[in-house]
Amino acid sequence: MIQFLSVSKQFSGGLAALRGVSFEISRGEFAFLRGHSGAGKTTLLKMIYREVEPTTGQILVNGRNVTSIPRRKVPFLRRSIGVVFQEFRLIQRRTVFENVSYLPQILGLGEQERRRLAYQTLRRVGLAQRMSALPHQLSGGEQQRVAIARALMNRPEILLADEPTGNLDPDLSWEIMRLFVEINRKGTTVLLATHEPTFIRAIGGRILTLEKGRLVGDEAVDGDGRFEDEQVDPYGVSEAKSQESKP
Amino acid sequence: MSILRILTYFFGEAITSLLRSWRVSLLALSTIAMSIFIAGTFLLLSNNLDRLVHDWRREAKIIVYLESNISAEALGRVTELVERGDWIGEVETVTAAEARLRFEETFPSVKELLETWQDEPLPPSLEIGFDSALMDRELFDDWLSTLRQDPAVVAVDDDRDWLRQLDAFIRLLRSLAMVVGVSLLGAAIFTIASVIRLAAYLYRDEIAVMRLVGATEFYIRGPFYFEGLIQGVGGAIVALVGLYLAFLLLNPQSSTLLLGTVLIEEFLSWNAILGLLAIGAAAGTLGAVMSLRRESLAPD
Repeated sequence: MIQFLSVSKQFSGGLAALRGVSFEISRGEFAFLRGHSGAGKTTLLKMIYREVEPTTGQILVNGRNVTSIPRRKVPFLRRSIGVVFQEFRLIQRRTVFENVSYLPQILGLGEQERRRLAYQTLRRVGLAQRMSALPHQLSGGEQQRVAIARALMNRPEILLADEPTGNLDPDLSWEIMRLFVEINRKGTTVLLATHEPTFIRAIGGRILTLEKGRLVGDEAVDGDGRFEDEQVDPYGVSEAKSQESKP
Repeated sequence: MSILRILTYFFGEAITSLLRSWRVSLLALSTIAMSIFIAGTFLLLSNNLDRLVHDWRREAKIIVYLESNISAEALGRVTELVERGDWIGEVETVTAAEARLRFEETFPSVKELLETWQDEPLPPSLEIGFDSALMDRELFDDWLSTLRQDPAVVAVDDDRDWLRQLDAFIRLLRSLAMVVGVSLLGAAIFTIASVIRLAAYLYRDEIAVMRLVGATEFYIRGPFYFEGLIQGVGGAIVALVGLYLAFLLLNPQSSTLLLGTVLIEEFLSWNAILGLLAIGAAAGTLGAVMSLRRESLAPD
């Protein structure tokens, strides 16, 4: 699904963000990207949706060589990848509905279809009743869930998250992490960058460790069971799916 | 996505952005309106002046003043000299008595001046119509020189002299219009570019999100191009409305001003109006294109 082949990145000024990184993440996998600040996690994620281009090496996403895609075709690559950031990146003057509707609008869907799609996706993250709210009227956790809904609008095959709980308190962080696990269980490949070991221990899965731009660890660990004991589907997505959807 | 839906989206976003920063948008619109108004004023003046000169040129004559007591033989000789020119139109002989009569009709308040003269005060003359299109400048100068050297000819008055000066003035006016218009248009384009760069800066977070979710550059830039276009066309419309109001104020039917009666008789042609609108649209779009280099839309 995602393949890095000897990828290096050197920024102007000589700073090496990544050095010869190679790994492969399979379809449907849940992988953590671990490392201290400045280890190269963000750069690595940005390379997957070609926000940053590697200096050397190749990156394959779904069999397509991302490094050789013409610039004008990059938007089409990005439509198959959802991205979530630590700082949410919501547009404060736009409502929740408008914030999650960028892609459907770009794709030319009509207002009614956009509303239906937004309603379904926001219900998936437990915010269907807040479609008309502005981001500042929401809590941090709710804002991050809106950002996740935005990333899920086109049912992406890959979901990338860069420190998605970095701005949230522990309770809200757990909520968000459960949401990622649930999304992964529905078939989406998740690559989540974090330096928070608690989640990694609790959830388990593939762990890629970066240190000063080098991949120094690639292991699979089992979770400690906390996620199995607790309700993984915090917003009743499974139940909601069976109900008739209405915008 | 249908073209109509895209254009509707571009237009809606452009209007939202213009209203969001209406003060600077108004500044850009005023700048372009000012430049097109000034260029339009020059165009209006030069067009009317051109038309006036064209009319005058049709009526222009070469007047050969003759000796008061010219003999029939000398008159025949001069007439023969005159008719050598291929460009000659109608030749009218004006006797001294006819010249006096004309003067008295034209200037009735000073006709007493002529009564103090014992003989005919004004010389007889030949008034020669001509077709300037047929004139060869060198041949014409030779012809004029031969006429002036004839002993029966007192003077030759050539209307072309001041028409040439007027032509030079119109050319100067047009050059001035070009320089002023282009300079002001440059300033307007720069202002629009700055305003749109500011708008792009205000929307940088939204642009970053749109890029992230897979919007094409065309989709991202479209509203900004529309914003420039609206400012350019809006400025041109304001300028043309202003120019038309000024025209109504100065034109001979509603004004007694000399400028109105002499120079402002016809408003700009539809072609000129459409041309100015097109210049406004082009200036606005160019400003937008200049401001939307990739780095200006890049996220922080």
